[in-house]
Amino acid sequence: MMRIPFRVVFEQRGETPRRLSLLVPIASVLAALCFGAIFLLATGYSPIDTYSNMFRDGFASFNGITDTLALSTVLICTGISAAFAFQMNLYNIGGEGQLYLGLIGGAWAGIALGDHLPTLIMVPIVLLCGALAGAAWIFVPALVRSRLGTSEIVSTLLLTYIAASLIKHVIYTPGSFFRNPNTSFPQGRMVADSASLDSFGSSRLYPTFFVALIIAGALYWVVRRTEFGYRIKVISDSPRAAHYAGINARRTTMWVMLISGALSGLAGAMLIVGPYGKIEPSIITLGYGYAGIVVAALARNNLGLIIVSGILFSGLRVGGNNLQVTTSTPIHIGVMLQGAILLFALGGEAFRRYHIHVVRTHVAPAKKALS
Amino acid sequence: MSTTSHEVAQGPHHNSGAAPTALSAHSIDKKFPGVLANDSVDFDVRAGEVHTLLGENGAGKSTLAAVLCGLYQPDAGYLMRNGKRINLSSPRAGLHHGIAMVHQHFRLVERFTVSENVILGSRDLPFRLNRRELNEKVAAVAESYGLPIEPDATVGDLSVGQRQRVEIVKALYQGAEILLLDEPTAVLVPTEVEKLFENVHAMTAAGKSIVFISHKLGEVVEISDRVTVLRNGRVTGHVSGRGTADTKELARLMVGRDIELNAQRATHATGHEVLQIRNLSLSINNVSVLNDISFNVHAGEMVGIAGVAGNGQRELADTIAGLVSPTTGSVTISGAMTTDCGPIQAREVGLAYVPEDRLGMGLVPSMSILDNLLLTRDRQTVVDRVSVRPEAARLIEQFEIKANGPDHLARKLSGGNAQKVLLARELSGGRGATKLLVVCSPTRGLDVGAIETVRRLLNDARSAGQAILLISEDLDEVLSLSDRVLVLYRGAVVHETPGETAQLSQVGAAMAGLASDGHA
Ligand SMILES: Nc1ncnc2c1ncn2[C@@H]1O[C@H](COP(=O)(O)OP(=O)(O)O)[C@@H](O)[C@H]1O
Ligand SMILES: [Mg+2]
Repeated sequence: MMRIPFRVVFEQRGETPRRLSLLVPIASVLAALCFGAIFLLATGYSPIDTYSNMFRDGFASFNGITDTLALSTVLICTGISAAFAFQMNLYNIGGEGQLYLGLIGGAWAGIALGDHLPTLIMVPIVLLCGALAGAAWIFVPALVRSRLGTSEIVSTLLLTYIAASLIKHVIYTPGSFFRNPNTSFPQGRMVADSASLDSFGSSRLYPTFFVALIIAGALYWVVRRTEFGYRIKVISDSPRAAHYAGINARRTTMWVMLISGALSGLAGAMLIVGPYGKIEPSIITLGYGYAGIVVAALARNNLGLIIVSGILFSGLRVGGNNLQVTTSTPIHIGVMLQGAILLFALGGEAFRRYHIHVVRTHVAPAKKALS
Repeated sequence: MSTTSHEVAQGPHHNSGAAPTALSAHSIDKKFPGVLANDSVDFDVRAGEVHTLLGENGAGKSTLAAVLCGLYQPDAGYLMRNGKRINLSSPRAGLHHGIAMVHQHFRLVERFTVSENVILGSRDLPFRLNRRELNEKVAAVAESYGLPIEPDATVGDLSVGQRQRVEIVKALYQGAEILLLDEPTAVLVPTEVEKLFENVHAMTAAGKSIVFISHKLGEVVEISDRVTVLRNGRVTGHVSGRGTADTKELARLMVGRDIELNAQRATHATGHEVLQIRNLSLSINNVSVLNDISFNVHAGEMVGIAGVAGNGQRELADTIAGLVSPTTGSVTISGAMTTDCGPIQAREVGLAYVPEDRLGMGLVPSMSILDNLLLTRDRQTVVDRVSVRPEAARLIEQFEIKANGPDHLARKLSGGNAQKVLLARELSGGRGATKLLVVCSPTRGLDVGAIETVRRLLNDARSAGQAILLISEDLDEVLSLSDRVLVLYRGAVVHETPGETAQLSQVGAAMAGLASDGHA
């Protein structure tokens, strides 16, 4: 039998050096870019050109950076939605469906309340309704998870498919409340003017971006400084210690999941008061909710870092989407890069957790064991 | 600190050095980030002897054993097997040379049967196992050393003592000549320890070498032919001769100073009843766990609960602490009925509870000492860590906790220091002044230095007028500290005796279910 003369040793780290915590996410993105370069080269495109185009279209032009920040508004929300639940080992991977419900809830408020209230009151109501709809969508998974321990992974994911059907239903059904009655082509009905914000100047960036930043900051503070955050930490690390200290894990689980759902719902409602103004059925092809999982993974569920990873990821996506317009590179390279980033970000965990080194194994001449 | 090698009376050796050295380690150095776990350690073991490695937690015993079996590669130094230099790149290489280790934390697959675990990791297995033949072979190996095991039993169903036996049989089955037993008695009850020692004698009689690792002085003296003492990674002394070693001397080599282990009972008048338990019964899944228990604990009194593990001790403690609701009966703390009220209300009337499982239940491993102090206290909506910080620093100093400060993570504390943090929190009062302290196995797994401190703290708490319920499987501890001793057997109190006049034989018999008197 052939023996390899060295061995890769994984040694668990007691503590991750600070330097590495920063290096690993950056390295994951770079590794994903290298990985993508292989496929670009194989299909006859120049990686350098492609990436410099992506960078320009994602970050280094006025339209690029504003589009990036606009997209990050949504992805920061779905990102904290995912991370907030993940940090308590609650795997809400149905942010996508909760976002659809946010769209529906927000559109409902925007249409039903009519053009009577001032924008300053109307927009928060629309956002709130979207958030509530998102929370409602996760209510049953949260209930069965906290009472019976039923896997939230399965339940939240399955509900996403139902939510997608719901979006189609409210748009494609003739006479639907959410469908534009004035066109025969199936389209969403516009919300009241007072429920729509104006973007900044000629950009497509809306003030909701700052709402997303404030919410990320506020949740970061809640987790680090409040009793609620303290409980989350105890329960996620040691359920038995929580029981010992009289901490009600069921109630906390319920709240964390509801808040997570509300954040994804909020992301949907932000699209209503911002760029969409109505339910866009194409939302079900965009995967903003799933992208939140990648954003959370890239930030390692650190609510403070979500802003950075959300913007970074949005930039890659905006740049990737523009590729097809500015060059003839297929758009799928952008999608592939997103997947590769998630993969490398998760793989990079190994470097943070383990000290990995290669040792030479001494190849001794085979001696017979003492019998 | 003096670390010169210290040669104590070279006692008579049972086969007077005739046996050849089977395995020796020379000037072993092993570094870990921030610690020199082994510092030029020399060690050797002869065929047919028990050579003990004695040292406090963190002294470097497990590290040396890991080097001896090939799990770690030393940074300096070398090993010799039967006089020839060897290089062990992995535990498999160690096994190849007949060296096997039974780890402190077992490495068994719970869903597998005993036989499957025994052959786990063997190479050259046939594609289809002949189970009957395998079971016979495993049973034969076990029999020959007096280690009865059921080859077809699922490991998950076995007791801790039986699992350890599986590990030993596994090592023997793989052809081990030299067995490294890392703190094998830490998880065993007294009768199981006796059984283990019989097995050890059977193995040495068959010419095997045993490297026995422990920090418990009594058993070390009983089992060892030779003892090597480690402190802070260095060898501080050797003692030879079975049963002749002086425990005081060993303790001094181990800790580096003289210590007093026998905490004296505080004999003074006890006050009013703080804990009243009336007709307490508990059934879990229709199995009776606690059976009609009634007793009181007074202020300034320490009541010890003795018993073999699994006779309802943990359930009794959890019920008093409000973590479990009893099926019938009542718990009253400081005059307030706390049955069914939950842990927070029990604490509000003066309960403090040190559970047996420190890092699994009493402390949150990933949180700092500071945050762990807040676990059982009243926390404001916005947690106020700033005002607790000075207190945390004071407690670290007062309880002599070895830590970098209040931000030191609980999981990075050694067992003894984790226990001190737990005691510091529970003794310093949280939601109200502590009136009743329930402590479970407070010194389990701790080294002598820490045991001394913990027992002193318990005595101080009693002197301060707290009522203490001490639940421990360590019979010596219960008998030497308690004012009153109750024996728990199958969920019932079967024996009660004053601590001073307690008879070891009577208490022992009651623990085994042979009680003649009283409550049963
Ligand atoms: N894998 C490891 N990584 C880092 N430090 C370690 C590791 N193993 C042991 N140590 C450190 O080495 C010292 C000796 O540990 P150990 O050999 O486990 O002691 P013992 O078995 O005598 O209690 C301790 O300070 C411990 O923290
Ligand atoms: Mg050890």
